[in-house]
Amino acid sequence: MAPGYAPDVDLLKHLGFFRAVADTRHFGDAAADLGMTQPPLSQGVRRLERYLGVRLFDRDARGVRITAAGRRLLPPTRDLLDAADDLVAAARDLAVPEQVRLGVAADLEEVAPGLVRTLVAGGTAVAPTVAGSVELVDLLREGLLDVGVVRHPGVLDGLTAGPVLVLPTALVLPEATVLPEARGRAGGGPAGVPGACRGLGGLTLPVAVPPRRHQPAAHDQLVDALRRAGHSGAVVEARDAAQRAALVAAGSAAGVVPAAAGSTAPGGPDGSAPAQLPPGPPLRVRVALPHSGRRRPEVDHDAVSGVLEAALETVAGAAGAAR
Amino acid sequence: MTAEHAAVDRLRAIARDAGVTAWVHATRLTGPPGTVALDDVTPVAVASLYKLPLALVWADLVVAGTVAADQPVRLAAGARTPGPTGVAMLLDDVTLTARDAVRLMLAVSDNACGDAVLALVGLERVHAWLAGLGLPASLVRQGSAEETRAVLADTGTDDWAAAQRALADPDRAVRTSQYDPALASAATAAQLGEVLRILWSRRSPAHDLVRDAMAHQAWRHRVGSGFPHDDVLLLGKTGSLGLLRHEAAVVRFPHEHPVGVVVLTRSARPERHLPRVDAAVGELARTGVGPLRLADDGALSPGPAD
Repeated sequence: MAPGYAPDVDLLKHLGFFRAVADTRHFGDAAADLGMTQPPLSQGVRRLERYLGVRLFDRDARGVRITAAGRRLLPPTRDLLDAADDLVAAARDLAVPEQVRLGVAADLEEVAPGLVRTLVAGGTAVAPTVAGSVELVDLLREGLLDVGVVRHPGVLDGLTAGPVLVLPTALVLPEATVLPEARGRAGGGPAGVPGACRGLGGLTLPVAVPPRRHQPAAHDQLVDALRRAGHSGAVVEARDAAQRAALVAAGSAAGVVPAAAGSTAPGGPDGSAPAQLPPGPPLRVRVALPHSGRRRPEVDHDAVSGVLEAALETVAGAAGAAR
Repeated sequence: MTAEHAAVDRLRAIARDAGVTAWVHATRLTGPPGTVALDDVTPVAVASLYKLPLALVWADLVVAGTVAADQPVRLAAGARTPGPTGVAMLLDDVTLTARDAVRLMLAVSDNACGDAVLALVGLERVHAWLAGLGLPASLVRQGSAEETRAVLADTGTDDWAAAQRALADPDRAVRTSQYDPALASAATAAQLGEVLRILWSRRSPAHDLVRDAMAHQAWRHRVGSGFPHDDVLLLGKTGSLGLLRHEAAVVRFPHEHPVGVVVLTRSARPERHLPRVDAAVGELARTGVGPLRLADDGALSPGPAD
């Protein structure tokens, strides 16, 4: 018989028979495990033995014993069958509906899980990445993300992006910090501009912000907005939201959080309602996508970005209405 | 890694840190050739930088005898392109010579004078002359009046101040055709470097006055911020519109070969006043010029613009 040519041997199937019989030492039990009858199982093992040129089992009145050759061939048989299972599983993974590789700017804090939840609730499988916006833009350009929610303004060369979405923010002050009345202070500006960041002249603490390298242009814009409102513009760059919250808890910085997140902050320790938080400079974001020619066809980019933009509009609207 | 390669990596890092897209071309104008380039063959809308090749063409045509340098130019108050500087911001009728119009067009980017010089030379003649120099017609696709009209139409505004406010809105990503190299006056950084090279090579009173006007440019906040040295001669021309902050300049250290440097930027931030970005233009220029600096022992005599 020519090597590799055996019209009556289905190698993987018959090796599966071999493994089942070796594990049970009983043709009847092995056939039951495989959900088949004994005659075709016995015939398959005989064909395999003929094909391999060695006896795998000794059969006698006392039952089935594996031969020395069978013992030698059992480990590579298991390896081959396991590898076949892995191959099939890998193919199944590729065949299931695609996960959307979503990037969310780390600076969005609690807004990020909300966006993911919205997509998942709509039946979209999501593989999320939370990182600085500059890094997300690089990943989008390299084709390693399908869609990104990035801070605006930032360089978006090589990508397309939707409209600028403006998320109001709230200043989070350490306990016992009282912001003096804004009226009459530099940067106070006219009253009656709802949600406007103003009157921060009395705030002497630095403001805890994400690292500048996450999105330098947006960072610089925020510092300019703080200065415009009367603050010194002094900031502490903290690597993540927990570090920023800890700085606020320590009394060494004020925080700026998306207003939706800030408004869910618990009340005082005595159960009182949370204090009305003064507005901070707004957080601006855009939903960015690879150019149309560079998108994965299995992902509906327009639908995903539509859902994300609607969710962000809701955050912006809810926060605005709360003021 | 050569100094030039290291400089290009540094250019990328500066642009990233400043939140801008940058196109840079720095090139030694005399002596052994040397160039530092970052994306310098990508066409970019150049805004008022069109006035630089226009001035070169004008001076060439003066030498050719096609136009007269002292030809009077009448700029009536109601019939000239408005703008923030020069004759464009005056109230009354003005009459000056063509060469003074060229000087105001360069030294303060006067829009009224720019359009007057363009009308004087004629767009078709400018294009034909640029083609003869091996430069694209897109360098001077239109004048300031056309640019202004397009921006007003794109932003749905009826005056320049309102258009600028619209372009600077931080809550919107406002577009205009004048950011598009296919529709606006446009060039690559390398092509503008070639304009500087040709301008530097010319010997005539008309070219002298063009270089002198560039040496008297009213602002030194962009390329100039990278060379805060009183003895370093800088001949520059800026171009600005919304996100675009450009400058093409010749940097001349004493007793060194002059270096032409073109820095074109598009910022992510839309605001009109971004000193950090202007300073980044200076840093980009200094980084591009640095590896090209070379002593010119043979030329102790002053250069043509001194």
